[in-house]
Amino acid sequence: MQFKRIGIALLVFTLVGIGIFTQILIRQEEKESTQDIYYKGNQLVSLISLHSIHDFEGGKHDFFIRTIMEYTSCQGLVYCFIYDRNGKPIVSLTPGNLESEIPNHIQTESLAAMGSTYQPFKTMGSGHKIYEFSRAIFENGEKTGTVRIGLKPPSISIISMQRVSLMAMIAFFIISAVIIVYYGFVKYLKPLEQFVENISNTHNGSATVLNNSSKNFRIAPMMEEFKNSMVQFKKRVEKIETNNKDLASKVGVLRFEKNQVTNILNSINFGIIITDIQDNVGHINDYMLNLLNIARPDVMDQPLEEIIQHPEIISFISQQERLEHARASTHIDTEFAERAPGKTFRISCSLLMDGETAVIGKIIMLNNVTREKAAEKATLEFTAHLSHELITPLTTIKSYSEMLMDGEIEDSETQKEFYNTINSETSRLSRLIKDLLNLSKIQMGSLTLNKGLVKSDWFFGDCIAAVEGAAQEKNISIQKHLPDNFPSLMGDKDQLKGAVINILSNAVKYTPTNGEIHFSLKEENNRVIFDIKDTGYGMSEEDLSHIFDKFYRSSNPQIVEQQGTGLGLAITSEIIALHEGEIEVQSEPGNGTRFTVKIPKEEYYLGKQ
Amino acid sequence: MENNKKVLVIDDEAQIRRVLELKFKNRGYQVIMAKNGEQGFDIIQKQKPDIVISDINMPIMDGKTLCEKTNGLKKYRSFLTIIITARINPEDRDWIDTLQDTLFMEKPFSPARIVEAVEQYIGGQG
Repeated sequence: MQFKRIGIALLVFTLVGIGIFTQILIRQEEKESTQDIYYKGNQLVSLISLHSIHDFEGGKHDFFIRTIMEYTSCQGLVYCFIYDRNGKPIVSLTPGNLESEIPNHIQTESLAAMGSTYQPFKTMGSGHKIYEFSRAIFENGEKTGTVRIGLKPPSISIISMQRVSLMAMIAFFIISAVIIVYYGFVKYLKPLEQFVENISNTHNGSATVLNNSSKNFRIAPMMEEFKNSMVQFKKRVEKIETNNKDLASKVGVLRFEKNQVTNILNSINFGIIITDIQDNVGHINDYMLNLLNIARPDVMDQPLEEIIQHPEIISFISQQERLEHARASTHIDTEFAERAPGKTFRISCSLLMDGETAVIGKIIMLNNVTREKAAEKATLEFTAHLSHELITPLTTIKSYSEMLMDGEIEDSETQKEFYNTINSETSRLSRLIKDLLNLSKIQMGSLTLNKGLVKSDWFFGDCIAAVEGAAQEKNISIQKHLPDNFPSLMGDKDQLKGAVINILSNAVKYTPTNGEIHFSLKEENNRVIFDIKDTGYGMSEEDLSHIFDKFYRSSNPQIVEQQGTGLGLAITSEIIALHEGEIEVQSEPGNGTRFTVKIPKEEYYLGKQ
Repeated sequence: MENNKKVLVIDDEAQIRRVLELKFKNRGYQVIMAKNGEQGFDIIQKQKPDIVISDINMPIMDGKTLCEKTNGLKKYRSFLTIIITARINPEDRDWIDTLQDTLFMEKPFSPARIVEAVEQYIGGQG
């Protein structure tokens, strides 16, 4: 709706209203004037009827007429009749032919009445409204006459000055009220317009509809705009809600993935701490928490230094920052003496990068390398021993050869001695190299065993034959203890023989002259048992724990190992293991040594097949 | 041709002792032998050899410890120490440099070269 139309409608309405109001006023005035007339009429006739009839006769007649005339000209008195007791008119004041227009019954009624009458009527000719009042004149209790008057209501002109001015005033007030309201409305409309324009701009970029409409009275376009904006708004809210659902599910996925990462971190068997650039802990896995004996809530976001109170580690980590351009990760090996005594840990530290250049934190890894360290140490020791064992015979060979070549040995006995020594050292060296290769093969898993049926009686005999010579030289007797039935075993005959002969020759070496060796063979629990007991020097518990180590040499001064390779028992134990057997040692210093070797019988294997 | 110089050979390996013994005896030196560092140290103090030829890896007291112990003695009486060793590290070289009148020989060694070094030392002394 345009405001113009409202204005016009309002104006029309005002005028109609004024018209209706005027009509009402007129009716009101008429009613008032009727009442006024009634009152006046009654009063007049009452006044007149108070006079004696004689007042109206004769000479007083003119005085009365003059008085009445003065009275009536201002009061709307149309006629006045006075009658005597017989109904004969004494006074008759009436304009022209009015009397003929008065209906007869009026007169009759009035003359007949003993009191007063009130009879409004309409004249017969022109239809004017007249109000007749009559009253009987009483003197001494007798009706002496009747007075009749007729009063005319004053004409109410629609257009009177008073009325016009009143109407004008009303119209003025209404119109001004309307104008005030209108402008007030517009004024209050402006902020609303602005508000809607703003909303519209947010959604559509411009208040399209508003801008296209005329300047005034634009509630309709404004409402339209508002509606559009609300629709847009609703769409956006819906979109946001959809996005929120999306995000919620994405957050769920991320949380799951984070949990996965956390689970992975906690499942691995080494420690991980991830810090931010300020060295505060972001992630720490269960392994690390266990090692340091701390709880995760206590250490999250705490500075690293407070959690790892280990100056060596902290200084290593801070060194890593300076290497950041190299982006290399090195490590340190250290211990946590109180929490994990005897264990060595390798700490390494990498920088956590976001893309190519931005450092966003550090990853600190901690690995238990105790076994690796021990293995490293063992390897180093082995290498050192090996070098020694190789160099020694070579030294002898070289220096003896040199002396022989220089002609420095003149004595032929000494020459023989030297040649023999060179020869035996060469053999020693070659034995060592063979043993080394054998052991190496076994340990690398590339040794192929020629498994076959081994008859224990032949085996037993062969082993003894191999050491008999050396035993006889020291006058050591080898006592045999044999079973009634010789079991057979499955295995590589040569390797097994080598293994057992190692033990036997050790027994010969470490037993002084005139000693004894007891070599027994028996069957027990599906296994073939070789038992070798000597009356030799025996060894301490310290030595016992190391005898299967490579190149282990006893520190006992009584034991001078010259001829062996140092690898004999190491190889023996590996061979036994490859045959799924067991080897046990018992020894006491001064009380000899006892080796027990158990190899599964052949049925064991057959059963397996 | 006898000379009055004493050579002490310290090695736990009998063959090494044997070859050095013969080598020096053939040249008229008096040769004393020891099986380990402790024996060697004892002999050095008591018999005051002019030359000490020692292995490194020996039981009871090794060559390194022996050298450090005997280095102090060289303030009062100078003698040559020759260390026979399988492998020589840069650290070992540095360490030997700190000792007085001490040389090293790598194994396998040549007995002739040892004799050379000894005679050079004695020549320098006299």
